[in-house]
Amino acid sequence: MKEFTYTITDPLGIHARPAGQVAKLAKTYADTVITITKDGNAAKASQLMKLMGLGVKQGDTVLVTAEGSSEEEAIAALKAYFTDNL
Amino acid sequence: MGIFTKLFGKPEDIDPNALYAPMLGQAVPVTEVPDATFAEGMLGQGIAIIPSDGRVCAPCNATVENMFETGHAVSLTAENGAEILIHVGLETVSLGGKCFKIHVKNGQKVKKGQLLMEVDLEGIRAAGLDTITPVLVCNYDDFSQFEVSTGNTVTHQDTIITLSK
Repeated sequence: MKEFTYTITDPLGIHARPAGQVAKLAKTYADTVITITKDGNAAKASQLMKLMGLGVKQGDTVLVTAEGSSEEEAIAALKAYFTDNL
Repeated sequence: MGIFTKLFGKPEDIDPNALYAPMLGQAVPVTEVPDATFAEGMLGQGIAIIPSDGRVCAPCNATVENMFETGHAVSLTAENGAEILIHVGLETVSLGGKCFKIHVKNGQKVKKGQLLMEVDLEGIRAAGLDTITPVLVCNYDDFSQFEVSTGNTVTHQDTIITLSK
């Protein structure tokens, strides 16, 4: 399993658009389970509704994990997305 | 349904496979939304409403999954499993709650037609933002039948999406 933690700097947090983009990215790694956890609540990154339901805001720290055959690539792609956009 | 049932307020027939218009206005294809996130279906498939009234009502019997604190969007899980996102206006997250009054909370069960939020459409326009409201089903690919109806002026009684598993 690969993972990283990230503290959100975007003032709007993970609202609809970034949630959609994260879910889309996560779905490209179908053989890998990507999970985002905030305050003990976990959501699969590919499940848009659950992801939005985490209510991730500026200043929140999330844990992103990837487990599966593409975990290396997936975690790199997500880390890049978070760093550039969130 | 006869006219008398309508007149005397008997419970209306609700099609469990239908999503009714959450707002009054013009129903248009989601591809007409001038925002790629919605137009390209990244958040789901559905329609968009160009609203003429600021009341946002439940499109079906559902559970409120996530009422955004800013009130600009809400997600619901329908009784038939459809995961619905109603996103009022574009870039309206930036209003930080201004122009939106929230009437329901997370986890709450709502009936078709129940008021979810009230929106100051004039206020959104005054802020230079578009009021067009995508109404999407995030998990549309879970349904074998998924049909949208656009091109019409809609009220809360009009079906905008028909879906079944």
